[in-house]
Amino acid sequence: MTQKILDFNKLAHELLPKGSGYDSCIACGLCSSGCPAAGFFGMGPQHFIRMAMLGMNQELATTPWVWTCTQCKRCLYICPMNIDVSLLVGAARGAWPDEKKPQGIMRSCEAQSLNSSTSAMGLTSEDFIEITQDVLEEIKAEDHRFNTLQVPFDKKGAYFVVNQNSREPGVEAEEMGPLWKILNYVGANWSYTSKGWAAENFCMFTGSDAAWEKMVTQRVDAMNELGASVWINTECGHSLYALWKGIERFDLKANFQPGNLISYYAQWIREGKLPVNSDWNTMGLKFTLQDPCQLVRKSSGDPAAEDLRFVAKKLVGADNFIDMQPCKSANYCCGGGGGFLQAGMREQRRAYGKRKFDQIAATQASYVLTPCHNCHSQIEDIGEYYSGNYHVVHFWTLICLSLGILGQQERRYLGPELENLGLVPGDINAKT
Amino acid sequence: MIRETRSIQTQLAIVGTGLGGLAAGIFAKYRGIKSAQVGHTGAITYTTGYFDLLGGLLGEQILDPWQGLSSLKKHYPKHPLVRIAKEDIHKALNLFNKELNNMGIGYSEPGNTNLMALLPSGVCKPTISVPLTMLAGVKAKEAKSPTLLIDFVGLQGFSAVEFVANLKKSWPLLTAQRIAFPDMIEGQQVFPEVMARALEVPSTRQKLAETIKPFIGNAKYLGLPSILGINKPDLIHNNMEELLGVKVFEIPSIPPSVPGMRLRELFEQKFVDKNVTLIPQHKVEHIELNDDGAKLFFKDPFGDIEISCKATILASGRFLSGGLKAEQQNIVETLLNIPVTQPTGRDDWYQEKYFDPKGHNINQVGVEIDNNFRPLNTKGEPINRRLFAAGTIIAHQDWVRQRCGAGVSLSTAYQAVKYAAKVLD
Ligand SMILES: Cc1cc2nc3c(=O)[nH]c(=O)nc-3n(C[C@H](O)[C@H](O)[C@H](O)COP(=O)(O)OP(=O)(O)OC[C@H]3O[C@@H](n4cnc5c(N)ncnc54)[C@H](O)[C@@H]3O)c2cc1C
Ligand code: SF4
Ligand code: SF4
Ligand code: SF4
Repeated sequence: MTQKILDFNKLAHELLPKGSGYDSCIACGLCSSGCPAAGFFGMGPQHFIRMAMLGMNQELATTPWVWTCTQCKRCLYICPMNIDVSLLVGAARGAWPDEKKPQGIMRSCEAQSLNSSTSAMGLTSEDFIEITQDVLEEIKAEDHRFNTLQVPFDKKGAYFVVNQNSREPGVEAEEMGPLWKILNYVGANWSYTSKGWAAENFCMFTGSDAAWEKMVTQRVDAMNELGASVWINTECGHSLYALWKGIERFDLKANFQPGNLISYYAQWIREGKLPVNSDWNTMGLKFTLQDPCQLVRKSSGDPAAEDLRFVAKKLVGADNFIDMQPCKSANYCCGGGGGFLQAGMREQRRAYGKRKFDQIAATQASYVLTPCHNCHSQIEDIGEYYSGNYHVVHFWTLICLSLGILGQQERRYLGPELENLGLVPGDINAKT
Repeated sequence: MIRETRSIQTQLAIVGTGLGGLAAGIFAKYRGIKSAQVGHTGAITYTTGYFDLLGGLLGEQILDPWQGLSSLKKHYPKHPLVRIAKEDIHKALNLFNKELNNMGIGYSEPGNTNLMALLPSGVCKPTISVPLTMLAGVKAKEAKSPTLLIDFVGLQGFSAVEFVANLKKSWPLLTAQRIAFPDMIEGQQVFPEVMARALEVPSTRQKLAETIKPFIGNAKYLGLPSILGINKPDLIHNNMEELLGVKVFEIPSIPPSVPGMRLRELFEQKFVDKNVTLIPQHKVEHIELNDDGAKLFFKDPFGDIEISCKATILASGRFLSGGLKAEQQNIVETLLNIPVTQPTGRDDWYQEKYFDPKGHNINQVGVEIDNNFRPLNTKGEPINRRLFAAGTIIAHQDWVRQRCGAGVSLSTAYQAVKYAAKVLD
């Protein structure tokens, strides 16, 4: 395959709303100033626009910079003229010959197309079911309070259909437990599907609409078949966006509503179904929060950001919560988005992440709450690389910790100070 | 996606989050008025951070702006600043200043005379109030003190050497040094915003101080482009002074610059309370005026938003911010199609010479207002008794030449809120 050369300026006219084409750029530079990918390969959002205006299509079609833009849309957020660079970054990616695209992203997308499970780690439906059953048995064996805990598959009449990122069954299966416990605690009527259960979506990042559409269609079909009302995608922003944006973009019929789990946590807390508190945090451990751009800026906006904060403050204590700056819709991407983690450009990814690292370090928090899987991996990686002094946790870990139902195996992301906090005594099973 | 339509009931709606809009928000809060405010990136994002009251008139620099206001009246009788009592201008500046200080960005108190503040080009401009992080620069220049000016490898639009070259005659003890900012990638452009956010981290401040120290020599002052943090500039400024053992000051750099970002983020974080709703980075799409107030409509990613209010202040700025728009032959106001006072044709927009002391006609355009700061229709009547205007959208001021941007925005906001309060009673 040879490189396709797009006419970027023309495409911008076609794809962008009236008044927000590239010709309305006033060259103020705010987009690049707030873009952690600005500077790589001599490029940045403002350069991209200027080059498109100058007709430098060859350069734009071949610059590897497009793989360092995480398509986080912070540039769009801040731009006085509402110019969206990321749409054309997607188009530029799509025009690359497959064999030249970052192979990590391509392989993950291919793996997703292999069978009906849509898992980027190549897990089959059978694998997934088997792994969940194993984990469930372990939980029951560890703590008799969960003797009746269930992990339903393809359960007709379920209200929630839940997807699961393959990373959990693939490499850290115990991390699924807390989510099940929470759903059980609030009495949610939920189910996994055996097909199309995997939450991640790398095909979107390849820039190939066809591959993205195929992936979304497969999932939507599986969930339509189940007939649940609301689809939730663990806590992950990336997965949420990739699916619902796909549904909109490809005009698919979904008989369910995409919802976000964090807002359900908030609702359950308000309704008293999830009576969490921060009493456990007697050490006054400080927490900050990464707003996933896919969930906040790109999906639900500041209302989702407010829910994130409401839940976080309940869990750790308002005084122990420190916002990163900037935050909410103005937040920076951590550098894990757009397939960057799979793109093999480690040096750039970490340089991108340095911006985030500084923002975390400025809070001096010892924990970063990251609902999104991509953010989670990236923020851990940069923490290690730049010798940060923090741990990275999901909300579900803290919710279960606060409720006193977090098992021994479910603490891999907690620091040593929380290793044993609130653990049920080892002989709890023996007592009954 | 699960979406919701949200309705916000408030007393006062403010369109715009520039200096005019934000000041209106502060003044409303001060008067106990419940408000909701919507606006996007505007001119405020590009400012130097200095608050100008009146710094120029017909090509002359103004040192005493209060006296200057009297001359302004002679030459520009319709200028919004001369329609406001000096006492109210004073109150507006002081109140805004006090609130900024309370929220966490220190500003020097507006005094009787202008300060001569440094610009990135090496020239000075008369202004009434400057961020505390920049104040020492005024003093260093005035006293011609031995001063080291730092710039950074990869930073565009700020050159210490050029700055020094421009000022060498009047300030012989000023020297320049270029250094590399800690932990930046070699050969890459470095943005002030990036350095400012990095300096929010104590260890970066230490590294920067270590890098600078060997060059300080006999200097009593150290100047650098405006990079001393976004969210805690005063703390970082003090810390750098401690680490370096000399007085430190910032000089504004060209956009995209830090002082405007500071103001924007300060308001997003500190301004909101139970009586104040702020919806940043959005624009009102449509306004319906009625006898009891207005309804404002727009969307955010979560769904439609409708604000119902008893009074509205329009502070949507000029061209850069989108309050006004230049069409083929004429200039229009974008939300309510309010008549815009303007030169008769496009040919008259600009003078032939760019630096013509009269300034360009295009820089005087805007909406007309009555004595209660209500915009007027073509018949010269208020468009609606509950609609007010503030900021640079008001006609007959040329903030560029007259260096009166903040002065116009703050004092007109003060008036607009004052008169809005009357219809709210
Ligand atoms: C490069 C530059 C440097 C400057 N330096 C200085 C300086 O050193 N000192 C000084 O005093 N002044 C300076 N100014 C001027 C100063 O910034 C302006 O005078 C001041 O910001 C004007 O305030 P404003 O509120 O009237 O308008 P703006 O700041 O322009 O704000 C208008 C607001 O309205 C919003 N808006 C527009 N349409 C809508 C809509 N439909 N719905 C909702 N919101 C809308 C915009 O998004 C924006 O938030 C500078 C300006 C520029 C451009
Ligand atoms: S922020 Fe918008 S207007 Fe400014 S340079 Fe970037 S694209 Fe152009
Ligand atoms: S989408 Fe994000 S990474 Fe891409 S250019 Fe915009 S700000 Fe930069
Ligand atoms: S990795 Fe996280 S921060 Fe980055 S784009 Fe994805 S959701 Fe946003």
